[in-house]
Amino acid sequence: MIEPRRRGREKPQGAVGLRRDAEKIAGALPPLLAEAEFLAGNVAMGVHGRRRAGHGENFWQYRQAVPGDARSMVDWRRSGKSDLQFIREMEWEAAQTVCFWVDGAQSMDYRSDPGARSKRERAALLALALSVLLIKAGERVALMGSAAAQPRSGRAQLNRLAMELGAEPADERPEYGAPPPDRMPKGARAVFLSDFLGDPEALTPALAQAADRGVQGVFVQVLDESEEVFPFDGRVIFQSMGGGTEFETQRARALREAYVRRLAERRAYLQDLARRLGWRCLFHRTSQSPRAALLWLYMAVGERA
Amino acid sequence: MSIGPVAFLAPWLLLGLAALPILWWLLRAVPPAPARRAFPGVRLLLGLDDPERMPERTPWWLLALRMLALAAAIIAFAGPVLNPRAEGRGGPLLVLLDGGWADAPGWNARMDRVAAALEDASREGRTAAVLSLAAAPPAEGGIPWRAASEWQGRLAGFAPQPWAPDRGAWAAWIAGAQAGDFETLWLGDGIGDGGEGALAEALLARGPVTLARAGRSALALTPPWLEEGALRVRALRAGVAGAVPVGILAIGPDPNGIERVLGSATAEFGAGADSVDVPVAMPIELRNRVMRLQLAEGASAGGVVLADDAVRRRKVGLVSGRAGGEGQDLVDPLHYLRKALEPFAEVVEAPLGEMLNTAPDMLILADVGAIGEAERALLMPWIEAGGLLVRFAGPRLAASGAGQLEPDPLLPVRLRAGGRSVGGAMSWGAPRKLRPFPEGGPFAGLPVPEDVDISAQVVAQPDPDLPERVMASLEDGTPLVTGRAIGDGRLVLFHVTANADWSNLPLSGLFVQMLERLAQSAGGLGPAPEAVEGGIWTPLQVMNGFGELETPSLVSGIEGAALAEDRPSAEMPPGIYGSGERRVALNVMRRDDRLAPMAGLPDALVQEALDRPAERRLGPWLLALALVLLAADVLATLRISGRLGSGGARAVARGAALVLLAAGLAGAAGTAARAQDTSSEAAALYAANRTVLAYVKTGNSRVDAVSEAGLRGLSRALFDRTAVEPAEPVGVDLERDEIALYPFLYWPVTEGQAAPSDAAAARLNDFLRFGGMILFDTRDADLGGSLGGTTPNGRALQRIASRLDVPPLEPVPLDHVLTRTFYLLQDFPGRWDASTVWVEAAPAAEEVEGMPFRNLNDGVTPVVIGGNDWASAWAMQENGQPMYPVGRGIAGERQREMAIRFGVNLIMHVMTGNYKSDQVHVPALLDRLGQ
Repeated sequence: MIEPRRRGREKPQGAVGLRRDAEKIAGALPPLLAEAEFLAGNVAMGVHGRRRAGHGENFWQYRQAVPGDARSMVDWRRSGKSDLQFIREMEWEAAQTVCFWVDGAQSMDYRSDPGARSKRERAALLALALSVLLIKAGERVALMGSAAAQPRSGRAQLNRLAMELGAEPADERPEYGAPPPDRMPKGARAVFLSDFLGDPEALTPALAQAADRGVQGVFVQVLDESEEVFPFDGRVIFQSMGGGTEFETQRARALREAYVRRLAERRAYLQDLARRLGWRCLFHRTSQSPRAALLWLYMAVGERA
Repeated sequence: MSIGPVAFLAPWLLLGLAALPILWWLLRAVPPAPARRAFPGVRLLLGLDDPERMPERTPWWLLALRMLALAAAIIAFAGPVLNPRAEGRGGPLLVLLDGGWADAPGWNARMDRVAAALEDASREGRTAAVLSLAAAPPAEGGIPWRAASEWQGRLAGFAPQPWAPDRGAWAAWIAGAQAGDFETLWLGDGIGDGGEGALAEALLARGPVTLARAGRSALALTPPWLEEGALRVRALRAGVAGAVPVGILAIGPDPNGIERVLGSATAEFGAGADSVDVPVAMPIELRNRVMRLQLAEGASAGGVVLADDAVRRRKVGLVSGRAGGEGQDLVDPLHYLRKALEPFAEVVEAPLGEMLNTAPDMLILADVGAIGEAERALLMPWIEAGGLLVRFAGPRLAASGAGQLEPDPLLPVRLRAGGRSVGGAMSWGAPRKLRPFPEGGPFAGLPVPEDVDISAQVVAQPDPDLPERVMASLEDGTPLVTGRAIGDGRLVLFHVTANADWSNLPLSGLFVQMLERLAQSAGGLGPAPEAVEGGIWTPLQVMNGFGELETPSLVSGIEGAALAEDRPSAEMPPGIYGSGERRVALNVMRRDDRLAPMAGLPDALVQEALDRPAERRLGPWLLALALVLLAADVLATLRISGRLGSGGARAVARGAALVLLAAGLAGAAGTAARAQDTSSEAAALYAANRTVLAYVKTGNSRVDAVSEAGLRGLSRALFDRTAVEPAEPVGVDLERDEIALYPFLYWPVTEGQAAPSDAAAARLNDFLRFGGMILFDTRDADLGGSLGGTTPNGRALQRIASRLDVPPLEPVPLDHVLTRTFYLLQDFPGRWDASTVWVEAAPAAEEVEGMPFRNLNDGVTPVVIGGNDWASAWAMQENGQPMYPVGRGIAGERQREMAIRFGVNLIMHVMTGNYKSDQVHVPALLDRLGQ
């Protein structure tokens, strides 16, 4: 079972630990059969029948040949039984591509309790767990803005993902993250894991590209508990993680309501954005169980759009 | 400057307290610094207005905390002292001790108080004098003023005296002394003698007087007496305040001659009563052994009464009218009397004429008919002086016709001629039984057995005064025992024989009880003044102020008249006095004495308690309090500024607070804490649960290390070779540690070793007396010759042994059990092999059946003394290698082996006593059994 508060210290650190954790929470789920939809040009052979004719290995249907069909496509054994010429069609089988963006900015390093997970760790865990499920189901995954940005399937890609997600964060990082400008495959799915506390305008280029390419996806806002309930009091100077932004208050307690309201506004904005793009939103707290979030993601990524 | 019981050494520092309000104002004005906190959500906060813009004030309780810390620090630096000693007034200081027996219970406290007063005086450079009122005022010369420091050294020479101070004489002396003005500290014992008022007046005329007295004055006991079969003693106290319990111990030799507590009793002074009578109930056999009675607590000469003849074993003279023939024990008129009296009385048998020379308490004449005029002339004064004459009837008495025609002064009643018996002229149908004893008589309450029959008796004439003389009678009212008081004494007649001829009364237990009652009533008047007067009495044992008996020194004989009348004094200390064969106890209190509280003291006298609380500096405690408060302030400040939560800050805060707290506690502990030694209990448990060899710590670390290694080596050898399996040896500090837990002490004698203190010597003597053994090792190969004092260690040994109860010694004889308890040994080498080894001298050998036979006592020789440095030969390193070389080569190893064997023999001797000695006789015993 997952006990996030303890795991930070006892588990193997880095890539190995992350991979192990991810497989652990993914192991209990059935293979995810991702819906394949809207994928026209970017088709790769996979195990998922698309319930329609296309390139594939399994028989789908015979249809009457129409003018324009190549001769070589005619199934002569079937055509010999009647006067009509039939063409044997195979089921269209294609692998889904899921693009992950795991925000690696400094703000994701935050944790209020030294025993708890940072937001970055939780986001990486969720991403990798979902990747495990997807790769088991033969899907292709990509981690945007990293060495694993090329969508691939298989254990090697999973390992690559784990290496990337479990790596020590780079020294020079922005304080708040924005999705990298990687080109997403057409019709792919996107999973954006971030705290979405930075400038919301930073999302616009990536979302515009996604809309262009018919990519639908999920926003997962990973927040620390203290970021939701704002349990501070006294005279405090709040700083961003890099120290670039400061805000001084005489009595932090008095700001709580305003802060919570602003957070709600930010979330409403995200949901509004998602609705317009056909995306979905998940608000996840690091103090919650990651399993619930993964189940939700499993449903969201796998469901028919 | 002082406020209540607290004084300040630097009171002007307290002005700093005035600065506190300014600090309050300053601290209020400055808000706490803001906390810095990393928080990604800061972007959401940007642009928010602070709804509460007022600068945050330091909360009042934090301010108060800081004020308190600062105030504590200021007060601490002002040097507060709790219960400060009064400042001296200058001029000479006279310290007066009552110095009588009543000072003994709190003597150490008094001496501490005197020492403290002298120390103060010495610090102030005053002269002083210490006088004990129990001594007589010096005939010439004034008050011996000396430097106070000089008196400090002399304090050890003061001791309470076993008599009461004579305050009146001192008052007169002080009034007449040429001493100028002085201040007086008078340590009173709280017991008034009528002279205290005059003394106080005389002292007040010279200067201020402080009377320090203990909360409770000493209790005293008056001489015991016998009443209703119980030993009674009256406890006295001065004053009547409150209900105070009192415990009495009756002490005397047990059948083995060892003095121990034979009985005890407790009672309570009622509120308003200044005396209480305490019965000490115990069997008569024990009561007869009681040598003295004393208070269970608060020992003093007044709290000890020496039992004299009043409660002692009675001396009973037996005289028979006819000599018992050979082999006729059971019809001997004295046989039953002897058997009955011997358990509780001293029985003397002599002809009547010589009997009174032995001064019996009670004289029993069994069937003595005629008493000659000369003897009658001796007996009558003896009875009148308190003697008890008991006569038994019999054929001779009946035949003598004594008291039949006219009253015989040596018979309580007139007798009828002929008497009566079953089948006789005054016929009885059947033997008669006893009627229950009359109330108020000497036999009241004794159970009357059913099987006592009287078949013959002499019969009293029915004179008018007969009924009041009857002490026991038969069922039909015939008197069986009659009695009459003569002077201080009494005459008792049993109307039956003392043997079983006329009745079976002598065969019953009742007979013994009746005699016991009679013996109790005999004597009991103590030495009358006339008995003591005349002759010179010399003290045999005298009491000191603490009530301990000592051998007298420098005390001359006392006139008998003085002994009977006067109070104990320096010339006549309480104790046991003897004149010829007679012994008289002189106690501090006499019968009917009372104690009175001090009275008539002038008002100008300053009175205070003796156990004045010690001067205590409060500064360190207050500083510690200030530090603790500051530590709390650190935590509280962090708490309200919200920084207590985050990791790093919290660790820093914790660290800082802990450092402050530790500093505070260390400061406090450094000045006031007393180390609580819990290790002694653990050590006692260790020693009590195992067999542990112990050595005496000499203070010389090298010697101690060798001793420990030596005993460890010996312990291992014992473990390997014998059934004795000792644990690791321990070192004992004679002054502090309990040594009774160890069977064996190895005592290496070093030159610089101090002789044991009194307490340690007492413990050592107990250790030696009750089966412990000490091996003294001078470690000098006995170069000074046999136990000589020519080597430094030998002299040290002599110095040490002089304090101990060392028995007569002899070199180990060839047949000593030490030579064969485990190994057969001839000599006892250690690292050296030269010195003679000494053990307790055995009693001289007797020739038994042609063999020398030593009647060795059952104990172990309490000391073994030698100089062979055994520990060095036994000493073993941790790895089992010997620590020191012994001798050379093979011979040396042989010597070491012999040394270890000696150790094994020694410990076996300690453990088994003379078991091996007895084993020697086993073959002879088996041989005899075989025949």
